[in-house]
Amino acid sequence: MARTARTKERFASSLIVVGSAILITVVLAALFAPLLSSWGPEEIDPAASLAAPGGAHLLGTDLNGMDVWSRVLYAARLDLGVAVASVALAVVAGSLIGLVAGYRGGLLDDALMRVLDIFQAFPTFILALAVAALLGGGVANLIAVVALVNAPAYARLVRAEVRAIRDLPFVEAARTSGSSTWSVLWRHVLPNSLTPVRVIAPLNCGWAMLTLAGLSFLGLGIPTPEAEWGAMISLGAGDVVAGRWWTSVPPGLCLLICVLGFSLLGEGLQERADSKRR
Amino acid sequence: MTLLAIEDLSVVIHGRGRQVAALSGVTLSVGSGEVVGLVGESGGGKSMVARSIVGLLPGGSQASGHVFFDGSDVLAMGRAELESFRGRGAAICFQNPRGALSPTRTVGRQLVDRLLTHQKLSPDQAREVAAELFESVGIRSPKRRLAAYPHELSGGMAQRVMISLATGCAPGLLIADEPTTGLDVTLTREILARFRQAADAEGRGVLLISHDLASIAEVCDRVVVLYAGTVVETGPVARVLTEPAHPYTRALLRSVPDLDGRPVAVTPGSMPLLREAPGSCPFAQRCTDSSERCTAERPMARLITGEWSTACFHPKTGSLAERVHGLDDIAHARHLEQAEYPLRIGEAPSGEPSGEIEAPGKAATTGGAPYRTEVVDAREVLRVEDAHVVYGSRFGGGGHHALRGVGLSVAAGETLGVVGESGCGKSTLARLMLGLQAPTRGRVEVAGRDLAKVRGAELRRLRTRVQLVFQDPIGSLSPRRTVADAIGEPLRAAGVPAAEREARVRAALERMELDASILERRPHELSGGQAQRVGIARALVGEPDLIVFDEPTSALDVTVQAQILKVIAEVTSDPSRGAVFISHDLATVRGFCDRVVVLYLGRIVEEGPVESVFGDPRHPYTRALLSSAPSLGRGFAGAGVTLTRDLEETDAARGCALAPRCPFSVPACAEREQELRDHGGSRVACHRAADIPGLIELIER
Repeated sequence: MARTARTKERFASSLIVVGSAILITVVLAALFAPLLSSWGPEEIDPAASLAAPGGAHLLGTDLNGMDVWSRVLYAARLDLGVAVASVALAVVAGSLIGLVAGYRGGLLDDALMRVLDIFQAFPTFILALAVAALLGGGVANLIAVVALVNAPAYARLVRAEVRAIRDLPFVEAARTSGSSTWSVLWRHVLPNSLTPVRVIAPLNCGWAMLTLAGLSFLGLGIPTPEAEWGAMISLGAGDVVAGRWWTSVPPGLCLLICVLGFSLLGEGLQERADSKRR
Repeated sequence: MTLLAIEDLSVVIHGRGRQVAALSGVTLSVGSGEVVGLVGESGGGKSMVARSIVGLLPGGSQASGHVFFDGSDVLAMGRAELESFRGRGAAICFQNPRGALSPTRTVGRQLVDRLLTHQKLSPDQAREVAAELFESVGIRSPKRRLAAYPHELSGGMAQRVMISLATGCAPGLLIADEPTTGLDVTLTREILARFRQAADAEGRGVLLISHDLASIAEVCDRVVVLYAGTVVETGPVARVLTEPAHPYTRALLRSVPDLDGRPVAVTPGSMPLLREAPGSCPFAQRCTDSSERCTAERPMARLITGEWSTACFHPKTGSLAERVHGLDDIAHARHLEQAEYPLRIGEAPSGEPSGEIEAPGKAATTGGAPYRTEVVDAREVLRVEDAHVVYGSRFGGGGHHALRGVGLSVAAGETLGVVGESGCGKSTLARLMLGLQAPTRGRVEVAGRDLAKVRGAELRRLRTRVQLVFQDPIGSLSPRRTVADAIGEPLRAAGVPAAEREARVRAALERMELDASILERRPHELSGGQAQRVGIARALVGEPDLIVFDEPTSALDVTVQAQILKVIAEVTSDPSRGAVFISHDLATVRGFCDRVVVLYLGRIVEEGPVESVFGDPRHPYTRALLSSAPSLGRGFAGAGVTLTRDLEETDAARGCALAPRCPFSVPACAEREQELRDHGGSRVACHRAADIPGLIELIER
């Protein structure tokens, strides 16, 4: 048993290492995009539209004559940024709701949970679609939309943890020390109820990225001249039939690699949390 | 006839980057019809012995030596052999019976399944046998209980089911791993008697594992004392418990407070966690008699007489009682003077021999009675008036009535003991005193102010006047905060500046005899004893008016418990502060309380000065508690009372709560509520209190 626990732990560590390595590579590529490509992301090469890979354009150009390689690199900034920012926002908002609902309980808890029920009653993507259509595109709006659809899950997660923790002796000890409710929540309850959030958040970044790309693919996300993977796939989707794979496959692969990286990292963290619990 | 013979058993567990020598050369035996007690503190290797016998060693462990059962070596058995051996050869009763029963199947089904696995029975026959088994372990209406799920059973009932599961397939050897931990004293007796019965009537061998010598002493024939994975002493129970030869056995026995109020000795230090088999005496560092030889080589078991042997180079002789009273071996006593303190000082109740003779030299160092405090100014720090607490169910209706009209008060300098069995409302009372729980009816006053009438910052300030020391020392510390943070919390909340805070935290730490290096550690890096000292330091640091100790030592090992009790005795002796000491253990309460309150099902049944409640109990329940409490000393001197039924079988909606279980109850008892009335120095809630002594005499005759 101890042996299997140890192999499990080693497995978890390797997942974390591989996942982080992928993500770090993508981040570096996004940061050093200007050094890695000679074209700007929105720079049009009038001489080449739908040029095949090779020559002046490493991965060819798209319909508008923009360099695919360069766009793929620059898009990583936007996609990663929106994914991480939206998850961070979801974690903060969700945790706060969960903290208050779980600690106070009673009517407030019931009310908050019913509101969350309404949000969770819709399939995530449909909800995102509806809200995005309502708010319109743009980076800030997209972050808000993706955060909104993810926050209820965090609220529930944190609420469950808080409910288990709030009556433990150390919380009562803090209360009898004369600490104010916020101080008890902030210093004792919250730090001890975020463990599952730490595991779920990386996994969630992957999903957030897919949601963002999906919205853009459908034309509800980032408007075209700006480089974004989902929008690029959308633009190039028709070209595949004509044998011009280079406009849509590279952004698709990038998306796949990023989601894979987040998933591996999340899985690894989960495995490690499980083996520690035992 | 020898049933089980363990020879030179060593178990090493290889963990992540470290190894632990769980057992090092353990040799012991159990015969048919014999009850052997395996005792020692946690980490001593008790459970590892049990696991070795049934071949359930944890992964990554290496065992050497032999475990002969009926002549065949368990350690060499293959899987199939082992499976038939478990259950039929040796069966084990686990510490946590409800955890060991499968929650989704009825207990009857689990028992029948086990019977069918190991015996050739038809399902109908098996059900018959199961009902008989339930009856034999004292489960009333067994047919009905067979259909119960584990969560529907009380702790005592679940342990009985466990015993029936273990005995069901007629194993030759029964192993019970701490079978009565968490059970009340009145139940403990009854459960232990079942094991004695299994040995006497059915001829089985029984290995009874416990950290509590006092409770198993009565049913054992022999005891084996483990320390750090080694057997330090083994022999007939009568000899080992009265004139132990090994210094550890002596320390262990003297660490336990007793009902007779004898002094408790404190042994500093704690059990080492060994990485490899010891090359010296593992107890040497804590032993007052250790010589160079003790640290140079490991003592092997040496025979004293017959079956009695000990692993010590200089075994002790003579009765433990005499040594405790310091009548012999003065040099030894002087050696201990720092560590020894009388837990009970004051007048002995009449008719009982004085139990508080101090060790020589003690009087000179401390001068008189330091722990029993005179109440000089009777400033009241806490008053509870007619408090009721009802835990309502969420869906309305019913609800659990945890407290039913409790009234008490604590003055500065006074220590009030609160005793009772589980479910009597002790913890609710503690929460009430701290303002963590509001009374459904009645009032709680702290420092003269009604807790219900203040709000916000004022309430928080008032709350800091009462501090709680928790039962679970590690669980009461925030897992992600350092010790410095934990102790400083009350000061931080009160707005004390950081520099002063640090100085006061250090002072509190010093008072608890803890090293400052502990400040940056987190709770999981502390031992139970250290964590409890931190808990007491946190309670003390804000200079409260009242400290409530809620079973502060019940989660600790015996020798550590004695250390903590000493600290508590010092803390409660402060005349400016009141204290409440809540415990299920009467002996501990007797140690340093001035007054005692006995709770039963949310009511106070008896209240009075320690001497009169313990020396001359008036309520039948108090008497039943006292007479069933385990004791290694003289115990309770008076006549006992045996309650007739288990708590969970009774329903006391009206009248005296004890009436359904009380051997003296008359119809009038069930008709009206009993109020506390004066009887001698105490107050008793029993209308027959005056007649009880006469009635007991009648029964005894």
